[in-house]
Order: sequence, then C-alpha cells, then structure tokens
Amino acid sequence: MNILLLLVPISLVLLGIAIGAFVWAVRRGQFDDLDTPAIDILRDDPLPAPRNDPADEARDVD
Amino acid sequence: MDAALPLRGTRVAERGTCHHCGEALTADAVRDGDRAFCCNGCAAASTWIREAALGDYYRLRTSPAGRVQGDAADFGAWDRDVVLAEHSRIVPGGREITVLTDAMRCAACAWLIDRALRRQPGVLDAGANAVTGRVMVAWDPQRVALSTLMQRLAALGYRPWLATGEAREQAQRSERRRWLLRLGVAGLGAIQAMMFAEALYLDTAQQMPVATRDFFRWITFLVATPVVFYSGWPFLEGMWRELRGRRVGMDTLIAGSTLLAYIASLAETLRGGAHVWYDAAVMFVLLLLVARMFEQRARGIASAQVDALARARPALALRERSDGSVEQVPVGEIDVGDVLCVAAGEAVPADGMLLDHAASFDEALITGESTPVRRGAGDSALAGSICREASARLRVQRTGADTRLSQLTRLVEQAQSARPQLARAAERVAGFFVVALLLCAAATYAWWRVHDPARAVEVTLALLVVSCPCALSLAIPTVLTTAHGALARIGVLGVREDALSTLARVDRVVLDKTGTLSDGRPELDHVATFDGMDADTAVSIAAALERGSAHPLAQALAHVEDGRIAHGVRAVAACGIQGDVDGSHWRLGRAEFAASRTDDGALWLGDGTRAFARFTVRETMRDGAREAVAALRDCGVAVELCSGDAGEAVAAFARQVGIETFHARQTPEQKLARVRDAQARGEVVAMVGDGLNDAPVLAGADVSLAMAQGAALAQRAADFVVTSPSLLRVPQAIVLARRTQRIVRQNLAWALGYNVLAIPLAATGHVTPWIAALGMAGSSLLVTLNALRLSRREPGQRRAA
Repeated sequence: MNILLLLVPISLVLLGIAIGAFVWAVRRGQFDDLDTPAIDILRDDPLPAPRNDPADEARDVD
Repeated sequence: MDAALPLRGTRVAERGTCHHCGEALTADAVRDGDRAFCCNGCAAASTWIREAALGDYYRLRTSPAGRVQGDAADFGAWDRDVVLAEHSRIVPGGREITVLTDAMRCAACAWLIDRALRRQPGVLDAGANAVTGRVMVAWDPQRVALSTLMQRLAALGYRPWLATGEAREQAQRSERRRWLLRLGVAGLGAIQAMMFAEALYLDTAQQMPVATRDFFRWITFLVATPVVFYSGWPFLEGMWRELRGRRVGMDTLIAGSTLLAYIASLAETLRGGAHVWYDAAVMFVLLLLVARMFEQRARGIASAQVDALARARPALALRERSDGSVEQVPVGEIDVGDVLCVAAGEAVPADGMLLDHAASFDEALITGESTPVRRGAGDSALAGSICREASARLRVQRTGADTRLSQLTRLVEQAQSARPQLARAAERVAGFFVVALLLCAAATYAWWRVHDPARAVEVTLALLVVSCPCALSLAIPTVLTTAHGALARIGVLGVREDALSTLARVDRVVLDKTGTLSDGRPELDHVATFDGMDADTAVSIAAALERGSAHPLAQALAHVEDGRIAHGVRAVAACGIQGDVDGSHWRLGRAEFAASRTDDGALWLGDGTRAFARFTVRETMRDGAREAVAALRDCGVAVELCSGDAGEAVAAFARQVGIETFHARQTPEQKLARVRDAQARGEVVAMVGDGLNDAPVLAGADVSLAMAQGAALAQRAADFVVTSPSLLRVPQAIVLARRTQRIVRQNLAWALGYNVLAIPLAATGHVTPWIAALGMAGSSLLVTLNALRLSRREPGQRRAA
C-alpha cells in the first residue's frame, strides 16, 4: 500500500492546482459575464481604427 | 379590417425600416447605398461600425439597436476631478470607471462596445456586460479624456450614465466573486474528501491497517478543513449572529451540525475511534452553498431594476452664483436654498421650487405619467424629472437622500430585499423545527449514551444531518426563483415576490382598454374632406405638421410621407398644432381650434376658420387580445373591461375581443371602487393596465400587471411588468403561478414527509451519517429538480407561445 504515500499527495497537489486555477479565474473576472464571450470568439481580427468619427460627423450635420 | 387602412402597411413596406435601429423610416431618412437610416445619428453609428470593420455586429445581434440620439450629450463635465474621484478608481496606468447604459439589448451590443472602446487610443481595458447593463473602462487620463470615450459610446447609441458610485459597484462585484470562490472551494474540496472517505467506507470488513486508516483520516481532515471554515464561513457567521441575537435559526442548525460532524470526527481521529464523518460535513456545506447561490442570483437580477432609478439623477448641476454667473458643481455639493439652472432635456438634480416662469417636466420615471406635466412658478419640480421645451431655474428645497426620487429608490430596494412572505413563513416553521430537532437530538444522545455509548455521537450526528430542514428551506426559494425565471422568459417580470402566490388565486381580471387591450398605437380610420381637398393631400399636410411631435395621434400619421415639409410648427397646449405647409397656414387639432367648430372628439385640419379635413383615429387590438381573453376564461377567471373612454368605442372593443362585462367612462376612482366591490365579494382581483393613468387601480387590486411599453417606471405600482407585447402572457402567467403553487405544496409535503420518516429511523440508530448525508442531499436534489420542472414549457404553453 506504499503507493498511496505517493498517489495521495499527488492528488492533493492536483487539488491545490485546481483550486489555484479557479481562484485565478474568478479574480480575473472570468465568470463575471457568461454571455458575451460566447460570441466574442466569432470575430477577432486586429484592424486599423476607423478614419472618421461619428461624434464629429453628427456635429457637422447639426 | 385592412380595407379601412389604406395608409398603414403599404407605405411602410415601400420605405422599410432603419438599418441600424429598426425603426420605421420617415421622410428625412438618410440613405447610404442600399441601406437607409432613420436619422443622422444611426447613419453615423452604422458608418463607423462598418469602417471599423465591426459590421459583424449586425450579423451577431439578436435584437435591433436603440435609436441613436442625434444631439450628442456633452460629457465634458465627466472629466472634472470631483466626478472622477467619486466614480472612478485608480488602476495601474490610469483610472477605471463603471458606467451604466440602458440600450444594451443583447450580447452583440456588449461585443460591439468592447471592440469600439478598445480601439480608442489610451484605453487600457474595456468590458461590457449585457446582462447587468454595465460598461467598465480603464483609460489613461494623460492620453484620452473620459468624455471622448463616453462620446463614442453615446454616438453608437449607448448613452452612458454614472453608476451609483465606484465603491458600491466594486463591492457588488467582489461579493459575487467571493461567493463563487467559496462555492468552487467547497465543490473541489468536497469531491476530494468524499473520495478519501469512500476508501474508508469500502473497508467494510475492517481489514485496513490502522496506519493506513489514520493516514486517510488525516488527509480527509486536511481537505475538509478549508471547506468547513472558508466555504462554510457564511453559515458560521450566521450562527454567531443568531446566537448573539438569542434566537435559533437555520444557520445555527447548519453550522452546528457541520461543526459537530467536524469536531467529532477530529476527536475520533485523534483517539483512533471507529468512525469519522468529515464527508457529511463537507457535503452539507457544498449543498447548502449551492442553494444560497440560487437565491443570490435571483437578487442580483432584481437589483438591476434599481439601476433605472439611479440613472435618473444627474451627476452635475449648474448653480447660480450670487453675481448671476453660473458654475458647474457635483450634485453632492448642492445645498438647500441654492439656485439651479436646468437646461431643456436635462434631468432636475434636486427637488426644488420653480422660479421665474412655468416649465413642463417629464416625470415618467417618478410617477409613470408619460406626458409632460406643466408646472407654474412657485410649484415644485422633482429630482429625476426631465425638463422639457425651455430651461428652468429653481430654488433647491430638498437634496440627496431627501428627494422623492431617493425615497422611491429606497422603496424599490426595500421591496426587493424583503423576502417573500411564503419564504418567511417557511423560515419561521424551520426555526421551530430547529429547536424541536435540537431537543430531540439531545434526548437521543442521552438515551444512546446510557444504552450504547459507542454509538451515541454517530446516531446523534445522523439524526441532525438526516433531518436538516434544508429541503424545507430550499423548497420555496428554488421554486420561486425558477418561476420568476420562467416568467421572465415569456416576458413577465415579477417586481414584488409575494405577488406570485396571489396571482395563482386570481378569479377576476379587470382589463384597461387603451394600452392594454389595444396596443396604444392609434391608426387612421377614416378621412373626410371638405372644400375640394383630396384625402391624400390632407393626410400628407397633417403628417407634415405632426412629424416630430410626441402627440399620440402623430404616431398614426408617422408613416405617411411624400416630401411635404412644415415650417414654424408650434404646439398649442390642449388644442393642437399649427404651422406653415406649402406656403399656407394650417392648424391641426380639436375642432374649435382648427376649424372653429364644436369639438366632436375627432382630429380636424383647417386654417383656423374653415375646415378642410376631419380624421378619425382608432385603436388596433393588441396581439392575441382575443385569444388571451378566451384563455383567461378557460382558466376559470372572470374577465371585465373598464375604460375611461366613451360608451360605443368601449362596447365595440369589448365585442371584438369577446368580453361581456364592460364599463365605459370610468375615472380611476370609479375603477378602483369597482375593484374594491369585487374584493368585498371575496374575489381576488387582478388588474391589467398600461400603468400610466391607472396607477391607483393597479395599486388597489390584489395583484396588478402593467403592460410596459415605453413607460419606464410606470411599473412602480404594478406587481408584474409585462414586457412582451402580447396579452397572451397574462393567462400564461396565471397558469404558471398556479403550477408554482402546486409545486411549492409538493415540495413542502415531501420535505416534511421525509423528515417525519427519517427522524425516527435515525433516532433509533438505523441510519449511518453518510447515508443520512446522502438522504439529505437526495431530498434537497429532489426538491430542486421538482422546482426546475417549472422552467420546462408545458405543451399547451408552447403552442400558445
């Protein structure tokens, strides 16, 4: 049964890692919003900022 | 029916809807290629979205965006240090602020906001949450001004509002995260502890060497400790509070049994006793935490409603100095007696008395009345109301927490924090139960101590765990949460939690006509013309005059367009409007104003002396009104129509929807009296209204439902707010409320029955603690699953929906 002396600590270490990962994820706000990220991944190409600004445009028209 | 409406439908189809916000297009629609927009604001927003290559937004969204207000608000004041100090906090590299916006409709909006803000130079981080309507931005004040970012949000149609303060936002967020952490630790820890405990249980023949057994016990102890003390802290804290208040409640029992299991196990581990019960302790904590999370989540969703009120108060005010010049100050610095200037379109920052001249105020948020109210000099204006037409000066009478708005906010908060009566009753019962149980446990311990000391602890523990009334305490909150969730999905929001049980007992429904049975959107019914005017010209002149007017009848003409433009349009209160179209002067409104005739309720077009056209407007029936009335009757509910309108109109409408009992020309007082009459006869009355002019009736009925279209907080007096346009939601809500009652009863019966059965078994030593924990968990699970049945749609409901 000596194998237990190795396996049980390993399981404890894994438990520690799991809890650590969970704490990290919660602290980073991973669970704050569960709806938006679903469509977040659909499109994410880095693109240049647009040239003109709608706020300016709106002002011009007014 | 459509034959009488040649205008609606056909013309709308020709012109289509705005590409961005989905509103029907009017004359001044902006065209850009094959896309058309209702206004420059929408067009600019859409152009920016396209050029920023965020066009996917239109593909991802599930509901159209809000209309972009052309007159971009000035956020310059937000850059002031006072505002930044109160509403934002310092983060590495800059500041962070959380703002609210009411225009986020779906996850795609959050996606768009996220992308749009991150693209601005100087933005460190940005995140939007469509569920809570919050936008978080972290920015570098050296590189970009907050007002620029807010301008960007507003230009996309998401007008930002300051949240109630960074500290509170932060507190809410960290509270939520803490609960999540506790649950996560409990979940992971409990699984591990159960696995080690299982090894001990499987050793049924007691063949395990003592050293191995003790090794397992110590490991389980190690894993169980954080679960009991970190995850279970809310219960320990609750027990401490209860004991200090000299009362015994649920928390005492929960924390007591957890601690008993834990400490007894530790004692057994130390002295090498026969049994340990760490598994029972951790299971207990985990299951109860899950139950608490359910409740917390329901509260969180409810608190989003308070935000609407918080938004109403502006962050800054214009104060007049003694020399007549004006300075901008944060609302917190206003004192009673100050003179404030409020620009047209701005919200009043504090309750005050009007100076100088009369002004009109939109008090929709406070009173639910959607038409602006006129206040003369010397009258009071309420904080949170919007100043219309012209700017106003006022002397401050009440500030901060004393204003009507703050009182209202507190009322809503109170109503939301109050636990439903049913849950309170269950808690009281559970309280008695706990005391009885503790006595029972003490007696059991004493008996076993005498007869079989070795099993005394084990049996007592089993008794405590197996009989824990958590099924009892779960029975009602889970059902209510699920029921409110299911209601929200069909577009009915519960504002007052108690109302659900009343709704189930309803046997008479009183319906209002305008805005309830009718959709509140008038349609042009008939056009009569005089003096050689042809109908099309008359309609187009009237449409030109009414364009941009907020008059309800204007909506009937809003879709008419053929290029006529009115100049110098002026509204004459209680009469109508006048203006020049095609070089001649026109008046549109009541007969005596437009055409010097006696008023007959119709809308007249004339030049002030001669009549040219007479329009009659009628209301269209709301979606599913007829079916809803039939469905209500199927539920065994009597249906009645009470309206303030004239006899024939109401009678015709009642016939159309199939209601036999109707009362016309009712003042709100008479409606209320009718409701009271029915209540005196012992009936439970539900009132369905639009929440605008029937607020007292809504408040007087046993349970009230407001059809909420547009009117922001009209729901104030209502118990339920129906956000769906279909009236069918009312019978559906009643059916759901009845099912809820049924399931609550089943759950209570099960929880009590289980305890009655389990306690004698445990007391007589037939149940080991781990079986007890399993039984308790199974019982709780059963109760929760039973509650979840509510979120499943019934076949009939699916068809109707």
